[in-house]
Amino acid sequence: MSDLQSYRDKARAFLAGMAPKYGRDARKGNTVEQDLALGREYMAARYDAGFGGINWPTEMGGQGLTHLHKITFDGEEMQFGMPSHFFGISLGMPVPILMHYCEDKEFVKERVRKALRGEEIWCQMFSEPSGGSDLAALRTKVEPDGNGWKMNGQKIWTSWAQYCDYGVIVTRSDPTVEKHKGLTYFWIDMRSKGVEVRPIKLAGGDSHVNEVFFDDVRVEDSQRLGAVGGGFGVSLHTLMIERYIATDSGGFGPHLDEFVKLAKRVDVGGKPGIEDGRVRSAIARNHAMRGGLDSITRRAMAMMMAGMQPGPEGSLQKLVAVRSRQKLSEMAMDLMGNEGLAFDPHAFVKTDWGTSWLNAPTGRIAGGSDEVLLNTIAEKVLGLPQDYRPDKGVPFNAIPA
Amino acid sequence: MSILYDEGQQAIATESRRVLDARMDKARLLALLEQVGQHDAPFWDTAVEQGWTALAIPEEHGGLGLGLIELGLVAQACGAATSGAPFLTGGYGLSQALVHGGDAALAAEWLPKLASGEAIGCVAFAEGNAALPPKPAVTYSGGALNGVKPAVPGGCAAGVALVWALSDSGVVLVLADLAGASRKAVDSYDNSRLYADLTFAGTPASVVASGDAAHALALDVLGRMAVVTAHEQVGGAEALLYIARDYAVTRKAFGQPIGAFQSIKHRIAEMYGLVEIARANCIHAAASADNLGGTDAFLTAAAAARISATEAYDTNSRDCVQIHGGIGVTWELGLHLHMRRARSLAVECGNLVFWEDLLVDRLAGEVA
Repeated sequence: MSDLQSYRDKARAFLAGMAPKYGRDARKGNTVEQDLALGREYMAARYDAGFGGINWPTEMGGQGLTHLHKITFDGEEMQFGMPSHFFGISLGMPVPILMHYCEDKEFVKERVRKALRGEEIWCQMFSEPSGGSDLAALRTKVEPDGNGWKMNGQKIWTSWAQYCDYGVIVTRSDPTVEKHKGLTYFWIDMRSKGVEVRPIKLAGGDSHVNEVFFDDVRVEDSQRLGAVGGGFGVSLHTLMIERYIATDSGGFGPHLDEFVKLAKRVDVGGKPGIEDGRVRSAIARNHAMRGGLDSITRRAMAMMMAGMQPGPEGSLQKLVAVRSRQKLSEMAMDLMGNEGLAFDPHAFVKTDWGTSWLNAPTGRIAGGSDEVLLNTIAEKVLGLPQDYRPDKGVPFNAIPA
Repeated sequence: MSILYDEGQQAIATESRRVLDARMDKARLLALLEQVGQHDAPFWDTAVEQGWTALAIPEEHGGLGLGLIELGLVAQACGAATSGAPFLTGGYGLSQALVHGGDAALAAEWLPKLASGEAIGCVAFAEGNAALPPKPAVTYSGGALNGVKPAVPGGCAAGVALVWALSDSGVVLVLADLAGASRKAVDSYDNSRLYADLTFAGTPASVVASGDAAHALALDVLGRMAVVTAHEQVGGAEALLYIARDYAVTRKAFGQPIGAFQSIKHRIAEMYGLVEIARANCIHAAASADNLGGTDAFLTAAAAARISATEAYDTNSRDCVQIHGGIGVTWELGLHLHMRRARSLAVECGNLVFWEDLLVDRLAGEVA
């Protein structure tokens, strides 16, 4: 514990030193492009200070520390509102997968260093218009083309693709076998001929996700990650890398203290809001829920430190926290009344109830919808039967569209 | 504070579950529902024999000197089994008042008897929906208690009570030998809880604490009992989760196990979520008791455990019955043992409103 505590102190000291230049307040009013430029600078400074690739092997340019050190740093960094979100997916999944599967180690080393320093960004192209929760239903296809491949199709919901240099992608290489057996995984250069990125403006007003189109894109066989037909396995591996990440029992929305402050400030029926039974009940229930999730996190950390596998209850975090944040944000807006109608699309989601509310649905859908998470808990943790799946055992090209 | 169970604690959890699985009898518990003033004697004999009564009593008083974590694990097993006697929680509350109350003579007199099971304790704080009434109707004057404490858990069989009363100089916490009180059993929806109206008429009692100290001690005792009860609720809620799961994988409708329907499987996954959040809060609260007992930090942890455990047990008893359909509402299947217990435990030792208020007062920095 003391090693981790001193690491936390070190991280906090570094972050506090960076905050005036890169923290939440410094970023206020930035355009996305300005914020990204600032983010690249911050990533380089973070790398130079020895906080890049915390749990990656030293021979790859990482720090060679444990997963716990990384979660510890991430938890601290989240508090400061640093512009590191552009790089979260890049470093979270695509680059680790590249390290694991790409055989050209010199190429990998170069990519890792540039990704850690924020010079290059990687995206992950999984979801498609025809398959989000049902990943293996994807239709983007590759066909043999000389000694390589030719790619055609479309991906969607690709975070930061408009700023990405590279990406990893799973495609259909064989439509004549069962849907999850005919997939193959590649890395691609996002500047290749035939790749087109179109940002999607989301309800909250920002455009961090994109559609990506592929029109006869040439892919070398050396860009293949894993075996031909092994793409589903590599995809699952990709999703497993980030299994234990820094969590937030507030669902990445405002801290409960903010709600308590608001409730004390406003008037309900001639009394302070904090004296209203409905408000009190909401605070108490939320505190109990968040306290439970925090306790689950502490126990998971303690288990990892003891070399044990954390329990499956960690899978509750996003499910429970984000939907609670959505409802609490609604109640906060009710308490503000028409004072809360003013809206700043660039307000920070952890300090602004309107922004927290408007972006909460994204949180309940991205990275596994509530329903998919419930299915996973029911099937993987509790052993309940799978849903009825008419496409089971059927070749992909024989599944009714 | 330990948040991972050590080997000894894991052994207590496994062993208490094993013993109760082997000895509890649903038919016996169902019969007790229709008898007023009767508890499940085999359960209580087991509790004494297994040393559960001695678990959290200091060694110098004949106890095992363990704490809330260990007792919580036993309570969890008792909750899963809807065990038929309420004395574990009441006895613990009473003994903790003596341990922290500072009257060495009283502690020396009663703690060994509570540890050995020779004496059965109960806690009589509540009046109506007030878990800790600011001005209790039961009064204490000239060394004697007067008035009625309604529906005290364990009141039908306890020999000694910790009573929250009002004296001329403010609130007091006193210990009364119930030989000097009269009791009237309450015919309840959960009769093995042994609810009795305790009537004191000049009943001799000894002061454990008075004034602000009595208030602080009563809150600490209530918080500790709430953590034990929350464990019991988690045990019940978890049992219902697995009863529902087992039924959903075997019962078929429309050509498939009903657990394959998302309306059923999602409901069961939600039950799991409620259990795990409540369990996590229980572990945190129990682990806080040693260092933080008597502080607001402990009370907020106890409140979080209590609130989430009450929500888990109530919800799971509702939903488990719903998943069963018709068979779920039969007397014989006995899911109503859990339904009844979920409600009796929710009301005993402070309802949701009490704990929500106590918690929010502290979160808002407005403790009276």
